[in-house]
Amino acid sequence: MNLRRTVAVAHKEVREIIRDRLFFSLAFIVPAVLMVLFGYGLSLDVEKLPLAIIDRDGTSMSREYAHRFIDSRYFDFKGYSFSERDLEQPITDNLIRAAIVIPEHFQKDLLQGRPAHIQTFIDGTFPFRALTAKGYAIAINAQITADSLASYLAQTSGMSVAEAAAVFQPVKLEVRYLFNQSLKSIWSLAPKLIMVILMISPPFLTALGVVREKETGSIYNIYASTLSRGEYLVGKSVPYIVISTLNVLFLWWMATGLFGAPFKGSFVFFLLSSVLYVTCTTGIGVVVSVLVRTQVAAMIGTAIFTMVPAVLYSGVLIPISSLSRSAKLVAYLLPGMYYTNIVMGTFLKGVGFSALWRDVLVLLIYAMLLFSIGYAFFRKRPNS
Amino acid sequence: MNQAQLAAGSRVIIWLRRLRVMTQKEILQLSRDKVLLFLVLYAFSADIYNAGSGVTLQLKRAATAVHDLDHSFASRELMGRFQPPHFSIIGEVANEAAGLQLLDRGTAMAVIAFPPQFQRDLLRGRTVTVQMQVDATNSVLGFLASSYASEIVGEYSLEAGMKRAGLSPGAQLQAPVVLNDYRVWFNPNQRDDWFMSISELLNVITAFAILLPAAALVREKERGTIEQLLVSPLTAFQVLFPKIISMTAVILAATAISVFGILQPLFEVPLRGSLMLFFAVTMLYVFCIAGLGLFIGTVTRNLSQASMLAILTLAPMMFLSGVWTPPEAMPALVRYAMYISPLHYYVDASYAILLKGAGINVIGHSLVGIVLLGGLLFGLGLWRFRSQFA
Repeated sequence: MNLRRTVAVAHKEVREIIRDRLFFSLAFIVPAVLMVLFGYGLSLDVEKLPLAIIDRDGTSMSREYAHRFIDSRYFDFKGYSFSERDLEQPITDNLIRAAIVIPEHFQKDLLQGRPAHIQTFIDGTFPFRALTAKGYAIAINAQITADSLASYLAQTSGMSVAEAAAVFQPVKLEVRYLFNQSLKSIWSLAPKLIMVILMISPPFLTALGVVREKETGSIYNIYASTLSRGEYLVGKSVPYIVISTLNVLFLWWMATGLFGAPFKGSFVFFLLSSVLYVTCTTGIGVVVSVLVRTQVAAMIGTAIFTMVPAVLYSGVLIPISSLSRSAKLVAYLLPGMYYTNIVMGTFLKGVGFSALWRDVLVLLIYAMLLFSIGYAFFRKRPNS
Repeated sequence: MNQAQLAAGSRVIIWLRRLRVMTQKEILQLSRDKVLLFLVLYAFSADIYNAGSGVTLQLKRAATAVHDLDHSFASRELMGRFQPPHFSIIGEVANEAAGLQLLDRGTAMAVIAFPPQFQRDLLRGRTVTVQMQVDATNSVLGFLASSYASEIVGEYSLEAGMKRAGLSPGAQLQAPVVLNDYRVWFNPNQRDDWFMSISELLNVITAFAILLPAAALVREKERGTIEQLLVSPLTAFQVLFPKIISMTAVILAATAISVFGILQPLFEVPLRGSLMLFFAVTMLYVFCIAGLGLFIGTVTRNLSQASMLAILTLAPMMFLSGVWTPPEAMPALVRYAMYISPLHYYVDASYAILLKGAGINVIGHSLVGIVLLGGLLFGLGLWRFRSQFA
């Protein structure tokens, strides 16, 4: 491989990129805008769930029960005014996502030492949201039950309410969240966003690179030149890898500066493995570009093969451990998963090469494999 | 019939004929790109199948290690309640460091620690604390793990308390407890495949509806064939509209394939509402969003620019459609951005029709959102195209 010729190709590519002002600015604008939008907008914390309460008892105890939910930050109280018969309407309409029905005799039952029954309706359209909402409701309800038992015991046995409360909660669970102690999802989200944005953006930058020259015919200059295949492909990708590396720095700054994500690991290690990662994602674009014949197919192919998996199989929205076997296969086939281990490790866990060398190795093999595929399928003498 | 009426009639016929010829041209062009056709088929079948079958957002057999300093009957009994489907015990660790190491390596998702004298304190009526360390690298699962664990421990605690208060656990029905009966509507078993396959279908529809028209327009510009169309007697509308008709037709056919070939037979999605309504809404949506694609096509000069602009609009639309983060959990500014995304309204309408069995009266305001935003986008695309070429 001749370095001078490679540099010449890279130089030509840089010229072309910079002269296309709109494209050049979009190469930097797109990752930054996505980071801001996702960072602020994407949250898997289920909070402020719109809730309706139907209180058919209308007593002080039923109101107290209702208030435990109304005062909780997990629910957003939308009013008592809904009628039970057409609860389905506001739930279908997304006006509310949960409803609690307190039946008559609620207070009477409890005061007489009998269990009271409550009904909770939850919109199951988005299952994980329904599960979390149910979790909140169960926790609130358990607390109310314990309080009710304690005050009942205090009345019947003459203990103080505090003593009685201790009787009913002999075992307490103390939960400590590791790696993300406040459970603030932006902390675990911001590093993953770097991964997902760099999975979407670089392939789109490069996917049209080779195929555009094929469609316009300027590729014949390359065919006729002394350039070797390797020189051409490397020279073509290097400028995009540089652009994406600049984006890495920028996104890292946004994650730590703007979103306040902690960064505990080594910056040099992070940067080097990030360059490896963007080389992989750039390589995906190169391979698509070499394999297809038209720019339209390249553009749509890249969208289908990178954007869709980035949403589903990258571990941002759905943890890899929650994927089935076939979906896990897709996840393992993409470089994103290995890089996720690296960003999560360097940001939140503060671990380095000794713990993450496997992921680095996989990315290295991945990058080499991609460029070999590109090399093998790029013909300087096309068949047709 | 007089002369003027005849002339008007033939003008209409010619107008329609031109539209038909142009539509045929677009469909022919689409069908000749075999790679593209393969991508359409793949996206609407295998990709949706994979998304629907591949994802569960439930806590399944979370690997849990035990650090038991008591080794008593009570600690074993409580531990025994951490059962599948939510938990599975992977074994005991000898000390705290070993537990942390398991968490570090990701072998265990949670470690539960019992203090020494757990049983003795419990029997003596003291409050004992069980510790749980959860790997919250993934916030959702971290929350679910702690939520289920609290439920298990709470129940155990309540039973122990009742026993101590002289009420037998079976006598719960005689104590003033609040029993909450949970009913989850529309998806009683919280099947993720229903939710995921629909969500993926809507995403794929959106991707094609934006990318195909944008690409088609930019390609004609890049190759210069647009000039040929412009010197022909066709109006701007007659050039653009057939592109949209043909692409809508392709997308609708592909949607039918995935609804009847994947969603219904493989995932048993209940399809409660009217399918006619769903396809009508889809057609309307694709028309509208194609306007956005055309707009991108008019502001860009080559496909590289177009594809960067397309992901700038497409990626936020997909991630922030309201499927993953409900609008009420977003900060105001992002929420407003979401309100101008047609996908948000389409998502609401589609889930309402397919899962909740909603009719046109219920999805009315979503429909208005699609039509207003879509009309605006389409008008904008047409206007840009006119001012650029006519």
